[in-house]
Amino acid sequence: MITVLDPAPRFTQQLSWVVAAFLLTLLPHVPDLRLWIVLLALIAIAVRLAIELRHWKLPPKIVRIGVAIAAMLGVLASYRTLNGIEAGTALLVLMGAMKLFETSNRRDLTVVIFVAYFLLFAGFLYNQSLLRLPWMLATAWLLTVTLMRTHQTAPMNMREALGLTGKMLLQSLPLAIALFLFFPRLPGQFWAVPGRETAATGIDDEMSPGDVSELSLSSAIAFRVRFENELPPPRQRYWRGPVLHDFDGRTWRRLQQFLPDQPVTTSGPTYRYTVTQEPSNRPWIFGLEAVTDWPRERARLLYDRQMLAMGRISSLSSFDLESQPEYRFEGPLPVSTRNAALRLGERNPRSKLLAQELYAQAGSPEAFVDAVLDKFREEEYFYTLEPPRLDADSVDDFLFNTKRGFCEHFASAFTMLARAGGIPARVVLGYQGGEFNPMGGYLIVRQSDAHAWSEIWIDGKGWVRVDPTAAVAPERVERGMEAALGDDEPVPGRLMKRFDTLAQLQLAWDALNTFWNNQIVEFGAGQQRSMLEWLGIEDADWEALGMAMVIAMATFFAALTGWLAWRYRPRQLDPLVQVYTQLCHRLEKKQLARAVHEGPDDYLKRVARARPDLNRQLEEIRSLYIDLRYGPSPLANQLSRLKFLVGRLKV
Amino acid sequence: MRSLPARLRRKTRAWARRRHGIDPDPVDLSSRRIYILPTGLGVAFALMLFAMFLGAMNYGNNLALGLAFVLGSLGLTAMHYCHRNLAAVRIASAASEPVFVGEEARFRIALENHAPLARHELTLGNDQGTSRPVRLDPGARAVLTVNVAAQRRGYLPLDHFDIATRHPFGLFRAWAYLHMDVKCVVYPRPAPRGLPPPPVETDTGGAQDSARGGDEDFAGLRSFHPGDSLRHVAWKAYARGQELQVKVYAGTAVTSHLFDWESLPGLDVEARLSQLCRWIEDAYAAGHAFGIKLPGVDLPADIGPAHRQRCLMSLALFGTQESQP
Repeated sequence: MITVLDPAPRFTQQLSWVVAAFLLTLLPHVPDLRLWIVLLALIAIAVRLAIELRHWKLPPKIVRIGVAIAAMLGVLASYRTLNGIEAGTALLVLMGAMKLFETSNRRDLTVVIFVAYFLLFAGFLYNQSLLRLPWMLATAWLLTVTLMRTHQTAPMNMREALGLTGKMLLQSLPLAIALFLFFPRLPGQFWAVPGRETAATGIDDEMSPGDVSELSLSSAIAFRVRFENELPPPRQRYWRGPVLHDFDGRTWRRLQQFLPDQPVTTSGPTYRYTVTQEPSNRPWIFGLEAVTDWPRERARLLYDRQMLAMGRISSLSSFDLESQPEYRFEGPLPVSTRNAALRLGERNPRSKLLAQELYAQAGSPEAFVDAVLDKFREEEYFYTLEPPRLDADSVDDFLFNTKRGFCEHFASAFTMLARAGGIPARVVLGYQGGEFNPMGGYLIVRQSDAHAWSEIWIDGKGWVRVDPTAAVAPERVERGMEAALGDDEPVPGRLMKRFDTLAQLQLAWDALNTFWNNQIVEFGAGQQRSMLEWLGIEDADWEALGMAMVIAMATFFAALTGWLAWRYRPRQLDPLVQVYTQLCHRLEKKQLARAVHEGPDDYLKRVARARPDLNRQLEEIRSLYIDLRYGPSPLANQLSRLKFLVGRLKV
Repeated sequence: MRSLPARLRRKTRAWARRRHGIDPDPVDLSSRRIYILPTGLGVAFALMLFAMFLGAMNYGNNLALGLAFVLGSLGLTAMHYCHRNLAAVRIASAASEPVFVGEEARFRIALENHAPLARHELTLGNDQGTSRPVRLDPGARAVLTVNVAAQRRGYLPLDHFDIATRHPFGLFRAWAYLHMDVKCVVYPRPAPRGLPPPPVETDTGGAQDSARGGDEDFAGLRSFHPGDSLRHVAWKAYARGQELQVKVYAGTAVTSHLFDWESLPGLDVEARLSQLCRWIEDAYAAGHAFGIKLPGVDLPADIGPAHRQRCLMSLALFGTQESQP
């Protein structure tokens, strides 16, 4: 069957497929793109399709160039740059859509497909989650199918196209996997590109009443921790984040100055663990108090023991840390630090008076702390996810009016009272607790575990952690927020926990995600080294990796060449000829080769004369063959009989 | 002065001819003689992959890197498919129609697929152009044409052509140079009309006599032309006041020409052949019998396509080394 078709109607079909594939690649980008870009792209696509279906003329070149320049200026105005992932993606989308306007042949269609491939690539820069993977794979496949159909003049149905490209993609996978595993990984970026400006949820570097409780409504994962050995007990699971010194009566902020370093001595059990943080677009690394060892080329520890990554954490990142939960800041307290930790604003006059009263009664810092915590515990203070709004004198309002608050209210009030009582104090933000996933053997820390506590300076003891929330709701520290809050509180995931199977499924999915994140998304030089060691290659250098890639490539080439040669080997399609050839081969081995001039009739008659013992079978074979080849209506059972006889013939 | 690519193409073609020699007919393409290079799109694809690769490495983004590697491997797989799409295709020549000088000889080349998988997007081409791509299902056969401008009469050799494919993605082009001993006959260019044909001999012999011709031979009337035999004039109809008409008898009057080389003195060889060719074509179109006389060739008057071909063939080959088969 030979099919040669006029290319004209096929172009419309090919264009529609390219447009469909382009839209499919565009879809995951829609939430990240400015609305006008999406709209412009959709309008361009609609107009192009109308042009094709109505047989209108394509717009003249000057219009196309004008629109393209206008679109580029629009991106520049909208993003203030053409560099970086977001502006780049916007440009790609517009380029693809504008390219459609001058698409009149196969080459142009291919260019649009290439742009779509690039969009797919950009999609991975935004999001590498396991959830998105099937969509991305399906898109890649469809793009490849479209690429092939664009280069196909003869019609090819979708099934055949899907089958052929699917086969090719599967055959490409082994080499791709080998390259992925063996390609040397570089540490860090070699070309700085502005990162993405997105509002990821997470702990910020300031704290106002209501911030933490709002964050706690999200069950999004903040980070996961895998411990080398046993886990620390729940009451020691304080994950330290930003440390706040500045207070304006309502909001706590980071100090915009550096204070002298204070040495810390640690003791007790050592925990080694890996923190894998979800992208937060902030630099804080949340380590267990107090961190004793960290990757020094990627992170630094400030004077107040907050740990910062070099640059913002904009993609999933892991840090190997070491902590000892028993620690002690060595004194004395530098004057600058003491001043910063005692500073009080004009606000909250009632609280100041209260603090002075309490301190006068207590007489010592320790007794003062107990007095304040007793006040929280014994008076009508409530721990709630939905605290009422507070006015500018937030601590006064909380302590004397509302008396209902989340951890930031208690931490803020306590720290302020301590300062008013003359004790250096500061607020620490971070996470507390975490859920153990038995299926993956790691701890999940969610945004709902966000927490705030205080640190006060006691001469001779150094900075001491005081968690006022623990006084009001001791369960918060031991068993998590859910246990500490009443049934009517909107705790995230509470409903889920009621159904055991669902909770189990969620944990299993998270375990799968973690595996995906750690093994694939975060595959780096370290994993590569351990994989090679597992393969028996110690101390692999670039040379060894290059060798491995060359071997993989050569194996791939040989295997594919062999497989294709075998699949495409010329085959005799007529079964009758196959049987006859088989017979001739077998007779040839017994010195009864067919002469060039002999037809089947003469040949088989001669063989029958030469081998009287096989006369009967050969005679039947001959007559069957003649019937099948030249007879008026050959029968299927004759062919099977012939096959049977030839097979059974004992030459 | 030819352009550099054209010269390069000629050089490689000459090299391929030295390497492979004249191909048998039919020939099964062995994979050793199939060449493959990336196309412009293939180079663009590679550049795109390189950009992806750099970006992925820069961001340390493993999935993006994985995508670049998958697409790269896909390109290499496509290269193998492209090459294999051509390997072991059987190529055979088919009969080509003779043409006149100034026309394009259309060499017909048959492609056969003996593999159990379809072959896609096969094209044949030469310096003059490329045929429309064709798909060959398992066991299928397709006949494509390769055009060569016929500039001189005689046997026109096909000399060279190539079979190529860009399947599956247009990223690679695989091709093979073929040199098959295939020829097409080129007749002389028919001279412009003008010179009248030599006098007609009307052979009325035997059964054509009107006296003996029965009514069953009478085919009708047509208007009188000067030179018609007076014996065939329909006098009765003329007497009835109709115009002068002649009776026509079926299969009777055979008008016969003899086109003689000697009747065209003063012209050179090609002009004479062209004139003879014109006369033959006109006589054949009119259904007249004709014979030709050339030095060393004497074909008596006859009719029919086979005779025409024989005559034109002797014109085509007149004075060349090759004799008529």
